[in-house]
Amino acid sequence: MELEQMRTQWQSMNTRMKNQELITDQLIEKMTRNQYHSKINKIGYAEYIGTIICYLGAIYLMIHFSKTNTPVIQVFTLIAILLLLVLPIISILSLGTLKNVNISSGTYLEAIEDFGKRKLKFQKLQKLNLSLGLFLLVVSVPVLSAIQGKNIHEIPYFWSLIFPISIASFLAFALWVLRSYNKILNATEKMLSDLHQ
Amino acid sequence: MDKKSRFTKIIKENEGLIFKVAILYTNSSHDKEDLYQEIIFQLWKSFDTFKEESKLSTWMYRVAMNTAIYNLKSAKKQINTIAIDTETDRLTEASDESEERRIRLLYESIQTLNLLERGIILLYLEGKSHQEIAEIIGITTTNVGTKVSRIKEKLKLQISKTQ
Repeated sequence: MELEQMRTQWQSMNTRMKNQELITDQLIEKMTRNQYHSKINKIGYAEYIGTIICYLGAIYLMIHFSKTNTPVIQVFTLIAILLLLVLPIISILSLGTLKNVNISSGTYLEAIEDFGKRKLKFQKLQKLNLSLGLFLLVVSVPVLSAIQGKNIHEIPYFWSLIFPISIASFLAFALWVLRSYNKILNATEKMLSDLHQ
Repeated sequence: MDKKSRFTKIIKENEGLIFKVAILYTNSSHDKEDLYQEIIFQLWKSFDTFKEESKLSTWMYRVAMNTAIYNLKSAKKQINTIAIDTETDRLTEASDESEERRIRLLYESIQTLNLLERGIILLYLEGKSHQEIAEIIGITTTNVGTKVSRIKEKLKLQISKTQ
């Protein structure tokens, strides 16, 4: 089929679409009453809940800081507190990169370039967040053990079995997730480079 | 006529435009509906800034297509994915079988294009002049001509492969 034929067919679809029952009426009604909120500039509940959980975790560690008795565990506790305070900020910052966009001001090409750049920044921040989050998991194990009064040296098979398996699983998971992030990053970079071909 | 009535009238007259953009940039019914709503919201939001001296359709395409870009779920998914969706069935309802197949094929072929090409071909199929395409996309008129020819070739090849 020739493209010119397709063009005619495509334009003929306009008439047919006018008969589609779409949600336009209710939507316009909602918007004019300010009851509709854009999805683009919305920060999800997950981010708010995540922030609260992190800050509660940080408060818990601060309260029980006195229970950490060795300098190493105290350093780990401070690192964990710092991470719990910083992680939600990075998360919200990364979401912010995709928000507050003035859609009507630029051309289509500018929109693609801007979106691509924002997406790259978002993905890099997410990657950083994930790496730090996984690091937090590792650090928190001895800290929580110390707070609960358990000596990890006394846990049977801890050093010979539990610890090496945990580290191996952690590394495998981290590598798998980071690889999928890299794939997404490459796809975004490809999208941007395609523009200039 | 008040603002709301004017806006409703414009949207009603151009529902097809919004619907086509929503379909071309999404892969599921749910995403299509979300994008459709977001486009209308963005049009409403920028309605006050729309200046009568620029063409209504230019403004509408620009807002609709830019909204579609910022709503992309993932850049990865938007590259070389073929969406076979029930929405194309709705589009081709009441038409004969061969026409239905052709439109479906066209949709699938367009979705294999990159975002810039997809935008250009959408406007081309909508019957826009090279000058208007250049204005909406943000490239020169000469560049539009070159790109349209290249996209035509790509689509021809893609269609002949699947036929």
